[in-house]
Amino acid sequence: MSLQNDPFLNLSNSIFNSYIKEWQDSNKKVVGYYCTYIPEELLHAAKLLPFRIRATGNESTELGDIYMVRFTCSFVRASLDLALKGGFDFFDGYLICNSCDHSRRMYELFHLKVFNREGFKKKIPRFYISVPHVITKAGFLWFKQEIEELKEKIEKNFNIKKITNEDLKESIKIHNENRKLLRDIHELRIQTVPKITGSEALQISMANSSIPKDIANQELKRILKVLNDSEGNKTNQKRIMLVGSIMDNTSFTELIENAGALIVSDFLCFGTRNFLDDINVNGDPLESISKRLYYRMSCPRMMDDHEKRLNFLKSEINRAKIDGVILQRINNCDLHGCDNMLFEHELKDLDIPVFNIDRESFQADTNRLQTRIEAFLEMVK
Amino acid sequence: MSERVIPYNILLEIISNTYELVWRIVPDPEFSVLKEGLKTMEVSLTSGIQKAEEGLPVIGHHFSFPSEFLSCFDAVPICIEGTSYLLSALLPDGCEKYYDLINNWGHPYHTCSSQKGPMGMVLDDLFEFDVIATPTAPCDNTFASYPFFAYKNIPLVITDVPFIHKEKSYIYLAEQLKSDLYKIGEVIGQKPDFDKLKIALNLENQILNYELELFELRKAVPCPVESMINPIVSGIKIFSSGRPEKLAFFKTILNLAKKRYKNKELPPGMKEEKFRSVWPYMTIFFDINLCEWLDRELGMSVLIDIFNYNFEEPIDTSSEDKMFYGMAKKAMNYPMIKESTEFFDTFIENFINVSRDFQADCAIFTSHLGCKQFGSIPQILREALRDELGIPMLIIDVDVGDKRFNSIKIIKDKIKMFTNTLL
Repeated sequence: MSLQNDPFLNLSNSIFNSYIKEWQDSNKKVVGYYCTYIPEELLHAAKLLPFRIRATGNESTELGDIYMVRFTCSFVRASLDLALKGGFDFFDGYLICNSCDHSRRMYELFHLKVFNREGFKKKIPRFYISVPHVITKAGFLWFKQEIEELKEKIEKNFNIKKITNEDLKESIKIHNENRKLLRDIHELRIQTVPKITGSEALQISMANSSIPKDIANQELKRILKVLNDSEGNKTNQKRIMLVGSIMDNTSFTELIENAGALIVSDFLCFGTRNFLDDINVNGDPLESISKRLYYRMSCPRMMDDHEKRLNFLKSEINRAKIDGVILQRINNCDLHGCDNMLFEHELKDLDIPVFNIDRESFQADTNRLQTRIEAFLEMVK
Repeated sequence: MSERVIPYNILLEIISNTYELVWRIVPDPEFSVLKEGLKTMEVSLTSGIQKAEEGLPVIGHHFSFPSEFLSCFDAVPICIEGTSYLLSALLPDGCEKYYDLINNWGHPYHTCSSQKGPMGMVLDDLFEFDVIATPTAPCDNTFASYPFFAYKNIPLVITDVPFIHKEKSYIYLAEQLKSDLYKIGEVIGQKPDFDKLKIALNLENQILNYELELFELRKAVPCPVESMINPIVSGIKIFSSGRPEKLAFFKTILNLAKKRYKNKELPPGMKEEKFRSVWPYMTIFFDINLCEWLDRELGMSVLIDIFNYNFEEPIDTSSEDKMFYGMAKKAMNYPMIKESTEFFDTFIENFINVSRDFQADCAIFTSHLGCKQFGSIPQILREALRDELGIPMLIIDVDVGDKRFNSIKIIKDKIKMFTNTLL
């Protein structure tokens, strides 16, 4: 492996970076968002930089705890905490959807407590889309209309004359290429001699969501070349698939990989869920964007799609020759907690070693986690 | 006894016994709301169990898929959440055994106890549902927990509730409600009878007038209705909707309240109304006796809670389209669903108005472990009540259906200490 201290991967260690500065110095705007159900391509077509909200490096939730009760998710609390400290003051807007009960309330809290706090002068427009919780034809039509309305609101709020179909098609092209590059890297991860660790893959994904996509594509091509030229990991480590709640830092993946395993695949937001499906380049571009988002590989917020998620796990376990699956959830994440509960029973029925654990978003309770992970890895044949 | 609805049989037995005990021992007018509530739910449960014995299909439903919507079928409606919490209210250890069963099966401890009960009961083969109907609201627990029933091979009919209140939301939901009733019908082999549904909805429209009148009377100083009305109405709404006994309940309670209001009488057992509290969220279900304690020991009226302040418009039943549109609007404005499917500004504004109208001098927010959708609200509401009305709000972390999270003693102590600061 030769990605240690790679400047692109290092972007994942901080929130603000030089590319964002350069972007804003040329009078362009940045829009923050939480969830993979938002149309990045539409924002890009509007010449906005979509920045995926995370709280990497912030291990405190003191300020966030004032406004969110203790049985909410520590990832969202940490990101609110960071926002209250001014960590997202560089935003020129933010877009929230009803992905989960924790993050969707940031639509109100960011407005009330972050961007209207005393002394903060910039006006930050906010946007919201309501995503159905089931996958049906009527649901798609609803979602498509939400995206169309969002387009109008973006045009109005950012004084854009019109986001044209050509703008959208160009954006789709760049984003499809981005997903293809991430998939190519993923292929190097799941092969018999993996060329990348799980922690590195996570860093790539986080960095990728923090900078303009055309630059990200150049960087991903460079990384692909580095990886192709590398020898890969020839050791006989246990091959793990990591599933569940969002991860915005490598402390948990490092805990697993330092215990003698390699995370060769995942089912995470900053991971495979983000790049599996492409947008059809033919037809109405806005409809194609909506279609990809709505019908793509879901997360547990989609109530009627557990079987599809399970099928992906089964296929990936087979394809990546997985020795064991680690299911994890951030404490108080009901969505992943319950999805993992079903996965645990379903995978055990298939005689796949599986381990289900809860954790905090930032590194906490390390000894307990380490002991349990090591015990699981010992069990895995 | 029907083996398909064992927990309902248990519930009926406890309700009947408790009613008999309260009715025989406690002289009128003491515990009038409790007595009337138990009587009403006894009638509804008896009817359900009789139908189960006749072999009619058992339809499980989420509390926010109102049971009157299911009156278009000859079936036994079983409310998932209601079962958990009514058992919690009436049995010393409530549903704890079943919470533990499902937790041991892998269900996260931080999910909602209202669903854990029947999930554990399904693991223990105590329920045999033919189908379960649920909306995708109000919370993550609903999206997350209900797929368990599908895993257990129970057909699940899911109605998508949009997370935004707009005209298009009602139209979207109305279409689904109609098609989902047909889907339920397909599973149980019945065609929905919309004439029967219309009768139930018209009855609900009638009940609404009584509810609104009672709501106005509860603003009086002193409040003429005992605090127990809050959890009891939650139960009645869940178990007796669209049924004549619900109408009878509200008629009786309204008359009682009118009489007390006219005579400036306090609820029985309350010596003085020292504190007028509003509860923006729920009261405690695992020990509804808390309400009596508040009345009698603290002199604190619980003027209103989330199940008691929120009213939908009457449903226009003049045509099928209007009826479903009205049902959708009702479903989206149902207690807890309304607050969960829109931005929290409306909830806060509404509660400031309610607190002002009811001349409340304090608020108590039970921050329920399962309700992540409300996890960002208490502090904002506390600040708003303080800034707008100058009234303080106590926030208590609880599981409203499980005493092991925070015991009733701790809750009472907190409230007592809070009231000391109000004097």
